[in-house]
Formats: sequence, C-alpha cells, structure tokens
Amino acid sequence: MVQPKLIYKGAEAEIYLESWHSQLVIRKSRVVKPYRIVELDEGIRRSRTAHEATMMQEVRKLGVPVPAIQHIDPESWTLIMEYIQGPTLKEELYVLPANKKRSRCSDLGEILGQMHEGGIVHGDMTISNVLSEDGRLFMIDFGLGDFSKETEDKGVDLLLLNRAIKSTHYAFHAPLFKAFLKGYSKAVGKKRCDETITKMREIERRGRYFERG
Amino acid sequence: MFFFLKGRTATSAALHCLGIESTAHTFGVGIVSDDGRILSDVRDVHVSAPGTGIHPREAAEHHSEVAARVLSEALKKAGIPAAKLSGIAVALGPGLGPCLRVGATVARALSAYYRIPLIGVNHAIGHIEIGTLTTGAKDPLVVLVSGGHTAIAAFSGGRWRIFGETEDITIGNLYDMFAREINLPSPAGPEIERLAAKTSDFLPLPYVVKGNDVSYSGLLTASLSKLRSGAKLEDVCYSMQEVSCSMLAEAVERSLAYTAKKELLLTGGVAANKILQQKLEEVAKLHDAKFYVVGSPYTGDNGPQIAWTGMLALRAGLRTGISEARVRPKWRLEDVDIPWRDGSA
Repeated sequence: MVQPKLIYKGAEAEIYLESWHSQLVIRKSRVVKPYRIVELDEGIRRSRTAHEATMMQEVRKLGVPVPAIQHIDPESWTLIMEYIQGPTLKEELYVLPANKKRSRCSDLGEILGQMHEGGIVHGDMTISNVLSEDGRLFMIDFGLGDFSKETEDKGVDLLLLNRAIKSTHYAFHAPLFKAFLKGYSKAVGKKRCDETITKMREIERRGRYFERG
Repeated sequence: MFFFLKGRTATSAALHCLGIESTAHTFGVGIVSDDGRILSDVRDVHVSAPGTGIHPREAAEHHSEVAARVLSEALKKAGIPAAKLSGIAVALGPGLGPCLRVGATVARALSAYYRIPLIGVNHAIGHIEIGTLTTGAKDPLVVLVSGGHTAIAAFSGGRWRIFGETEDITIGNLYDMFAREINLPSPAGPEIERLAAKTSDFLPLPYVVKGNDVSYSGLLTASLSKLRSGAKLEDVCYSMQEVSCSMLAEAVERSLAYTAKKELLLTGGVAANKILQQKLEEVAKLHDAKFYVVGSPYTGDNGPQIAWTGMLALRAGLRTGISEARVRPKWRLEDVDIPWRDGSA
C-alpha cells in the first residue's frame, strides 16, 4: 500500500500517485477554485471531469496513446487512470540531442493529426500535456478537448502548440515546429495541413492590437 | 550604479528622460530620473461621446490641440529645462496610427531642435516596466490588460515571451463594446464595475478558455442578448465581469503553473478593476507567488511609462535615428529585444 503522494499541482487539478486495487495509479482531482463564484466553479469542474473521461476513451479508439481510465467519479470531480511516468515532452526537449528533438516533434504532429482526422481537438495543446515514456508519446489533459472537425478549432491546437514551443524552446523553435508540421502533414495530408496553418496565422493576428476600441 | 550616483549632486548631474504617450485616447508627457523617480506626469484624455467608441482621427485632433500645453506643463512641473534632458522617448506603437503620429512628430521635433537622443519605445513594454518600477517585482509573470491588450507574458532569453492571450477581442474591448450599446462613454470598465457591485444574481454566460488563451467575443454577444431579452443591467454587468475575470484568472493560473514564476504582476488600464485584482491575488496565493498591481496612477496610459522605458533603453545604449522613428501600429511586444533585463529561463 502506497500513501497517496501529490506529484503535480497543475492549474486545474491536483495529481496524486497512489495505489488503487493493488495497482499504482494516477488520481486527478479538480479542486475548488476560490477565484470563481460557486455557481460557476461547480459546473465547470463537474462537466470537465466527465468530459475528459469521454474524450480520453474516444481518443484511445483512434489509436492515439492515452493513459487508460480506470474510474470516474464526477461527484468528487475525480478521475483514476493508468500511471505513465513521463517525463513531459517539455522537460525532455531540454535534454534530447537535436535529431531526437525533431523526431519527437514529428511524432507528436502525427498523433495530433490522427486525432484531428478522427474529429477530436485537444483544446490545451502544449508540450507539458504530452508524456514521453521510452520514446512513446502519450497525450494527457483532455478537459478542454472537444469533438470538432472545424479548421478553427484545429488551428487553435496548432497555435497553442506553436506558442508553447516558442515560449520555452525559443532557440529551437523553427526546426521543431517544422518537424511537428512534417508529422502532422503526414497524418492529415498536405492540403488540410496548409489550411490549418493558414487558420492558425489568422487566429494569431486576431488577438493582436485591435484597431477600434 | 549606486556609487556612480553617490559622488554627484543629485539634481545637477542625474540623467532625465522625457516620455511621450499618444497611442490611444491619452496624450501624456512624463519626466523621470535615472534613479526611478517620476518628476512629472501630465495627461489629457480625449473622451468620446457616449455610445461611440474612440475615433482615431478625432482623438488625434485632440492630441494635436493639447500637445504643446501638456509638454510645457510636464517640463515646468519637473523643473527641468528641455535642453537639459538626456533623452526623448516616444511610444511608436502599438496603437492607433493617427494618434501615434502626433506623439512621434512632437518627439522628432524636440530631438532635432535640442539635439537630444531619441528613443522609440513599445507601449506594451512601457506598461510592464512602469509595473516593475512601481512594485519592485523582479521576474514576474505579467498580465497586461487594457483596451489594446489581453496578454500573459514572462521574460526569458532577452525578450518577453507570450504564454497566453485573447484569441479575439481584449477584455477592455469587451467592456467598451458592451458599454457602447448601452450609451456609456468609454473607457467603461469603472462604470461596469460600479453597476456589478449592486447585485450578486448570476446569469449563466459562455465561459471560454482555450489552453492559456481566452476568447471574449461569444461572451459579448451573449451579454448583449441577455440585456435585450430583458435581464437587469446590473445582473448582466455582474455576470459578464465575473465570467470575463474568472476566465482570465484561469488562463493566468495555467500560465503560472506552466512557467513556475514566483511573482505575478497585473498592469495596464483594466488592472484598476478590483474584482480582477482579487481573483488574480487568489491565483497567486494558490501557487505561492507574490502578487503585485502597478501603482494606481499608472494603470491607464501615461507619459512616465514611456519615459522610464526610454531611460532603461538609453542606459543600455539604445538610440533611434530620427528617420527611423516611424510609427508601428501593430508592433508586437514579443518582437522587442530587451538588453536591460537579466534573462532567466
């Protein structure tokens, strides 16, 4: 029996490593956010918990590696899932040699492309939401994921990922994002890849200085 | 730096930089000294007619009319003759083209006439630098909120890096565009905050967070349609403010968890909103970060933010040639090299 151990305190949830039916598992609990009024907070936590479980099952069906869900308890805003050790791709990119960095990003492009082709967007696509176990990538954190075939939503995934690489691995940003797009294009085809990149650029421009106040 | 100053008489030998701000509705001039004292801060704000937004040409006309008076008052209050200035800083962007050109013209003329170095400054960097100057924050995650920006940034590798932002309209736009529909003058944040404080009846409105980003356009549409279908104005203001500030707080919390910064700095015009301040203070507490809000007179656009950023640039050896001092209405804050800050990863 292992005592529950807080291994990560994220923005939304606390992640505990614990034993559950003699298995080492991850317990993800969405905690109360004191900055949100109760009317808003409870609804958000309940719906995201149930929704995340649904998205993970669906993504799994597409052949994209995700931790297996073992138990869902929407009333305590908790998910119990398979333990994947990591590190996160964000951490791994700091230490890998250049060619491995690129091949990881290309792999990520391929699995995100697979998801998009299957009609699912991640909604929080950063390199901390990808775990790398022995070179195999697992997608995590589907609380903001959705069923969508809209180029807009796919463009948001690319935008968030592009920014995540740019903001933390700026020295390698261009080759890494290029490698990502190579993998992505392989999964979705060149035409759709180009459409999504165009949309990503459009979304990026939209949020910038607004001409009319 | 300290020893350098110690041997001199503070008033006669210290460096002084003048800063001109004219990116949107404010024409402001400020003068700062190199030890971070703000010697003057004179502003004249163009107020648009109720029910209309800021009109770039009308605001620019206003700026041209008040420029000479604001400038001479700022010099007089600081007690520094123009010829004794060490630098003329001006906000070249981002902002409204016609407004920016007024400030740029004044700055180029001053620089050429008195032969004083000119420094082109990014307005958003100005909001950040006046924030760190007035709070003492060293290496914060910055939340910049105004009519022109809703961005979450942190410094590393010589530049401010964007970790989250709005994907459509800014939080300032949300409030101003809502206000325009109900005939309030902009900037409308304070009035919306006042109306919201009258109630706690919450109406469900769309809450849209995408990663570390927010999207406010759906919230604007839904808030206006609630109002049109007969909901009370106070309830709509309260709910819209709760949802918009909570969304931003969540995006900030995500960025704070991602960057693991230990300081959080709120700056820009909407930083004056007390509800937003409270929510971000809670976020900081959750992640053991220290919370700072830019000094209260400096939330809105002002001359000192440009003067102080100009001073930092001047000390780092930066100058802008008069012919290069063109306005840059879409100048992004993450494109500015910052040689005066220590980079931390």
